[in-house]
Amino acid sequence: MVASKKCRWFVALPSGLLLVSLWLTSPASAAPFSLFSRKPDGPAIYKQQCAKCHGPAGQGVKGKYNDPLVGDWSTEKLTRYIAKTMPEDKPGSCTGPNADAVARYIHDTFYSRAAQAKTQPARVELVRLTNRQHLLAVADLFRAGEEPKVTPGKGLAAVGYKSRTIRREDKALERNDGKIEFDFGKNRPEWAGEGTNGFALNWTGSVLPDESGDYEFVVKTANGVRLWVNNDEQPLIDGSVSSFKGVEHTATLRLIGGRAYPLRLEFFKTSRDPLANVTLLWQPPHGARQVIPARNLAPERAAATFIIATPFPADDSSVGYERGVSVSKEWDEAVTHVAIEVATYVAKNLDRLTRSKASDKDRAAKVETFCAELVAKAFRRPLTDEQKNLFVTLPLHSAAKPEDGVKRVVLLTLKSPRFLYLGIEGVQSDDFTIAERLSFGLWDSLPDAALTKAAVEGKLRTREQVTEQARRMLADARTRGKMQYFLHHWLQMNHIEDLTKDPSLFPGFTPEIISDLRTSLNLFLDDVVWTESSDYRRLLLEDDFFVNTRLAQFYGITSNATEDFVRVQLDPKQRSGVITHPYLLAAFSYNKSSSPIHRGVFLTRNIVGRALRPPPIAVAFKDGDFKPGMSMREKITELTRSQACQSCHSVINPLGFSLENFDAVGRFRDKDDNRPINAAADYTTDDGGIVRLKGARDVAEFAVKSEHAHNAFIEQLFSQVVKQPMPAYGPDVLNQLRLSFVQSGYNVQKLLVDIVTVSALQGTAKLASTTK
Amino acid sequence: MNALHRRTFLKQAGLSAATLPFITGLPSLGLAAPARPRQRLVFMFSPNGTIPAAYWPDATGTDFQLKEIMTPLAAFKDRMLVLNGVHNKVRGDGDSHMRGMSCLLTGIELFPGNIMGGGGAPAGWASGISIDQEIKNYLQSKDDTRTRFGSLEFGVGVTDRADPWTRMSYAGANKPIAPISDPYQMYEKLYGQMKDKENLQSVLDTVKGDLQKVGKLISAQDRRLLEEHQALVRQMEKEIATAKDQKLRTAPPALGEGVADQNDNLPRLSRMQIDLLVNSFVNDMARVATLQFTKSVGGARMNWLDIKEGHHALSHEDKDEAVAAKLVKINQWFAGELAYLVQKLASTPEPGGEGMMLDNTLIVWTNELGRGSSHTLDNIPFLLVGGAPGFSMGRSLKLDKVAHNRLHLALAHAMGHRLETFGKASLCEGGPLKLTAA
Repeated sequence: MVASKKCRWFVALPSGLLLVSLWLTSPASAAPFSLFSRKPDGPAIYKQQCAKCHGPAGQGVKGKYNDPLVGDWSTEKLTRYIAKTMPEDKPGSCTGPNADAVARYIHDTFYSRAAQAKTQPARVELVRLTNRQHLLAVADLFRAGEEPKVTPGKGLAAVGYKSRTIRREDKALERNDGKIEFDFGKNRPEWAGEGTNGFALNWTGSVLPDESGDYEFVVKTANGVRLWVNNDEQPLIDGSVSSFKGVEHTATLRLIGGRAYPLRLEFFKTSRDPLANVTLLWQPPHGARQVIPARNLAPERAAATFIIATPFPADDSSVGYERGVSVSKEWDEAVTHVAIEVATYVAKNLDRLTRSKASDKDRAAKVETFCAELVAKAFRRPLTDEQKNLFVTLPLHSAAKPEDGVKRVVLLTLKSPRFLYLGIEGVQSDDFTIAERLSFGLWDSLPDAALTKAAVEGKLRTREQVTEQARRMLADARTRGKMQYFLHHWLQMNHIEDLTKDPSLFPGFTPEIISDLRTSLNLFLDDVVWTESSDYRRLLLEDDFFVNTRLAQFYGITSNATEDFVRVQLDPKQRSGVITHPYLLAAFSYNKSSSPIHRGVFLTRNIVGRALRPPPIAVAFKDGDFKPGMSMREKITELTRSQACQSCHSVINPLGFSLENFDAVGRFRDKDDNRPINAAADYTTDDGGIVRLKGARDVAEFAVKSEHAHNAFIEQLFSQVVKQPMPAYGPDVLNQLRLSFVQSGYNVQKLLVDIVTVSALQGTAKLASTTK
Repeated sequence: MNALHRRTFLKQAGLSAATLPFITGLPSLGLAAPARPRQRLVFMFSPNGTIPAAYWPDATGTDFQLKEIMTPLAAFKDRMLVLNGVHNKVRGDGDSHMRGMSCLLTGIELFPGNIMGGGGAPAGWASGISIDQEIKNYLQSKDDTRTRFGSLEFGVGVTDRADPWTRMSYAGANKPIAPISDPYQMYEKLYGQMKDKENLQSVLDTVKGDLQKVGKLISAQDRRLLEEHQALVRQMEKEIATAKDQKLRTAPPALGEGVADQNDNLPRLSRMQIDLLVNSFVNDMARVATLQFTKSVGGARMNWLDIKEGHHALSHEDKDEAVAAKLVKINQWFAGELAYLVQKLASTPEPGGEGMMLDNTLIVWTNELGRGSSHTLDNIPFLLVGGAPGFSMGRSLKLDKVAHNRLHLALAHAMGHRLETFGKASLCEGGPLKLTAA
């Protein structure tokens, strides 16, 4: 019973990441039949021929075949594969009913997703806050109930004075300025009239960053300036002392995307300054330095947001989404830093936060009330008397100074597992658990006042009530932030660091173009997702994009593009949704050329939702290895010709080739090095069917009709929103979500509401149905 | 002052107190001289392999000439030990960069995992502790070598991603240690003020009790996480107690303000980190340190050298003469940063002892690859500078394809830790490399 020869069998996995090669050993003629039946006995065949290497339950055998036998092939496909390649020393001897029986057994017992769900039931794990959740929760801890409404796009409110000092009687101008980019030269602006005492301008309003991250603010001026951002007391830039030659002031600030922050810029020209000019720029994360555009500025003043500065060690994202499943010393230190940061902030702003002064008679009572509210907000539930004593009263009274007492309350609260972990009351879910799941699902943050009120009033008991809350919460900017977070993961935009290309081949593909492209894609995504139809299919099929003059020029788009972005209709034969957006096309390209493999892998996994295993052999693409004059398609075809490569590349390449009409910067082309482009290829679907793809639009059309693609999209959204394994929510969740998704006309907002409702009601099925 | 960095801003807003506390008081003078000289060890990492022809001296022995890359270190030639022929022989899962990085200090295979590189099977974290942490643990276990931190992990421009390409220090299997890339954060770790220490100390007991209480509310499966969390809280209590006893020998360095953690600031960040490193050694806060420049596959764009392409991209094309010249410049820059560190140690008297700090500090400059274009893990550029027992410096050696595990053993022995094997035991055959002159 010893195998003389071994052969390899690759099986695709649902996660698409792990390499699975299957070793089968068997004597050639030992296919067992039951004595009493002609029907082949699957378990017996498996036990006799396969278990030696794959383990009795397909879990693998160390040193023989290590990996568990799991994947997403159908029984039919498994059967065909076994018939063709197994047993390893005599392929072709386990065929027909035998192959069918053993394939069926493998598939149903441990191989398929359903079988895995049965053998290893997934569960909702205890998790700590992710870094993003930590950041947002702390910010919302100090958020006022009502946020001032701001209208981005109008720029900042400007007030001009005809002297360098700001005196009411010198006020000579009131208007909105879309952007701050002024060169007054040697002269006074007209509105300042005649005068010898210089002039001044004050801009106020809000700044609204698109994405989260570090923003470098830059003020270029030959005059005096001061800039405040998200802090009314302390200027971010103090350039009161000017240089005639012009100075560039820079300072970096961490901001959470999608929110408004108060901004104020003071500018003044003294009589001695020979020139007058001022420009307000920024460099956003993933972006190029640029004048802050009007669409990121609003004339109304927003309230400041408390943003922690402590950096965290990266979250575990080994399963494809960030989740808080582990703790480490670095994390505990970061948590402590945050607690001290917040404690310091609270102690320093105690008067404002408690609406009291140190001299007030009722100061102590007000401080105690404030602390109790803060702790309840942080813990997402009302405090019991015992908790109030432990977290508020005792620490407050343990310190000599009230500031230190408050600091102790904050330290204790922000280091408490009740703040740091989700679902801590895990055993029985109550109204507050549901509220917490809703707000962390949609916002990655704490419940707001309305949601907490609903929990207190017991108005989160039925599916309808929960859904209604979720719908209300959709309108909040924080949901947009979360949606962007998901979309950036889906399109892998969060990992894109560098899109620069060989400047000799792609002159003009500047950091500014790259930055504009990202903005263009962000605008497109927002536009599709946040219209009423919110149609997933439009993400893939739309043929109009956002461009500004710079992009229009570079991409040869003749349109009425303006300095700001406008929607422009492109040739639908050329462009089809995100997969033809130049930002992604450039991201999935080499420095000098397109990369059908990178594009193909992206399309395979993220768009059509197929699983891929990693390459069995490492082959690097080296342009110099090929005969001159070959097209990229020919090169890739040759590079991946071998049988080992083809098992995946037969899927990857046709998808990748479908985008060959786009060069490394995403421009449409008919030729690759003077060879005509051939973007057509036969794509093999998961059930073995062949689809002729003639180009990008065919891929998009295929995806929007593919159940696989829909499932992949739903699963990815679920993962990013809930951050728990989907099977833990029941075996049929994916199916139900998909049915509802299809029924709604592929409405992404509706899908988000569905997902967050499923997760919120987890473990409360009884509650929800009885009160319905 | 024009630029105001957010940290500066936060500091002015009162955040200087908002740091992990630990150190109080003024620099103290005249700590008693230690029973035996303090021995220190630093691993400096730079990525993407070297340019062999511009790195390895032609001659062996004491009479050798430095090649281009090493010229910034010319003044320390007699303090150098060039080790050609040391191979990273660890095989298994992961691509070359991954293994090059995560097996570099661990000398042991990566766990199978789900991180897929440009070749090989997908892999996870290293399956064992790294030598710097092993030595640190040893030193921390002895009264006469214990320091506040034991080891410090400095980074320069390491990206914010935790994967086997970005981590070389491991506290144990599956326990990568994130280097601190932000000098301000490192500063706070080292010298943060004491103001809030008392407050923190006063609440830790309650935090522990709370964790225990909450632990009872959740399932046994989930309790493990809270237990680990509790252990961390206990550890923090201990660290605070240790810090209480410690006094400073020298004042913290003055860091430039508002230097953001971004590519073009790498030269400044590097110097800030090296200043902090030397300072922490003077204050005897640690005896082991790592200094990690970017990460394996690091793509720093050295605009300050007038090189516009990323380091990693260039490293694939080192057969091109013009590209090779750029890579030599890049590696020379790293050598220059090493020279800055060496110079500082060479000009600082050993606190409470004799000679200079360099006499008792051994710096190991290393890399995840031997060469960028071939991705080989053979002939990893190992350059040792400084001094340690058992290492005769001022030489260039060509060893016979020895496993790098044996170098780690030699380093451990020099630090007093007489390990018999480290990492993958089968790669330790022959024992520690003998690096004394015959």
